Amino acid sequence: MGSSSTFSWPYFYQYPPYFTRQPVKETADRQSGLWGSLILAYCKHHKLYVLSPSEDIPLWVNKDINRRLAPEAAVSFLDDLVAAGSALWLDGGAKARCLVLWRRLPDVAAAIASWAASYGMADSVMLLDELAAGPAVAGTELEGLHREVLLRALQVLEAQGKVKLFKGATPEEEGVKFL
Amino acid sequence: MRRRPGIAGIQRDVATREQYRSAGEEVRRASLQQMKAQLVIFKSSLEAFALQHKADIRADPVFRAQFHTMCANIGVDPLASNKGMWAELLGFGDFYYELGVQLVEACLASRQLNGGLMELGALRAAVERRRGSRSDPVSEDDIVRAVRKLKVLGGGIDIVTIGRGTYIRSVPGEFNTDKNKVMELAQAAGYISAGQLASTAGWSSQRCERVLAELLKEGMAMIDDGAPDKLRLYWFPALMPQQQQ
Repeated sequence: MGSSSTFSWPYFYQYPPYFTRQPVKETADRQSGLWGSLILAYCKHHKLYVLSPSEDIPLWVNKDINRRLAPEAAVSFLDDLVAAGSALWLDGGAKARCLVLWRRLPDVAAAIASWAASYGMADSVMLLDELAAGPAVAGTELEGLHREVLLRALQVLEAQGKVKLFKGATPEEEGVKFL
Repeated sequence: MRRRPGIAGIQRDVATREQYRSAGEEVRRASLQQMKAQLVIFKSSLEAFALQHKADIRADPVFRAQFHTMCANIGVDPLASNKGMWAELLGFGDFYYELGVQLVEACLASRQLNGGLMELGALRAAVERRRGSRSDPVSEDDIVRAVRKLKVLGGGIDIVTIGRGTYIRSVPGEFNTDKNKVMELAQAAGYISAGQLASTAGWSSQRCERVLAELLKEGMAMIDDGAPDKLRLYWFPALMPQQQQ
């Protein structure tokens, strides 16, 4: 996983009723907002990109107060993040794997463009795998980027006319040309 | 004097009683005038005192509370009017007016969290944060006085006692004795179940469900289905010990 410094939990994480989906709309809306922010902060801190609503992680399970967020509730809060453009379901209707965009795609795209500029990548071609990991991106903010995020950020750049994506015969041969 | 029977004797008795009565009224009138004169002296002494200790009254909440008590004993209310002698003397009008505004803001800011019911200590802390570290400190007594002043203005704000705690209610709507009872019983643990409520308060299950549903709808209660025995618990954010954002 990512950073080893302690993650600081917000107040509501220690309060049992927040682990139950509230029936009253006003309270439920506020609850969803709080959980949405927590999900983004948690993923950002631990550099997590994919979440599963039923996995055994401290995000969904607070052992100190003996409460677990039910997967249906987690799905609901992730759905709200998706509606806000901060997450994507990777498996369509199954909703077992969610890509969490704790960094907005346009920001990731800008980071890639800036990296390309500072490393003089114009007219160069790279495999996507090399952009996600390897010596080219070691120590930069692109290192460790999840492939799904990388791909979608590059699609943003492609729409802006800054790169051209290539499909290879296999996923390993997918590449990008910086224009 | 020997009383003699007969009409003359009766007439004399009436005359004597009349004399005593008018003498008594004279005494009363004189006493009243004396008291009024005394009060005038008290009040002017109080004014002199207030003027001399103005800085302490502003800066020290404990001293300020004692000053209020002294005023009350003499029958003077320095907060009676925003204008007038006392307001100018102490600047009290501004102080409590400002405090009123700040406490209403603090209540509104946390209303979503606690349904409009805020514990007095938590409110005082929130107001202090708003005032900043450089301003005069305020006590719970100050908050209560400011709330009373706001009530007079018809601000829809009220002081509610639940069990051993004091709460400021800033939402309209009825906080009836049933709701008060529920929260009083939940005060120690911060939560209660419908069953516990029924057995402790001796209410029918319908009555319990109704009050709990009302508290839920008003945002003063939240449900918790995650307890180990799966018993639904009702939690009250206003009873949380000072964890407001």
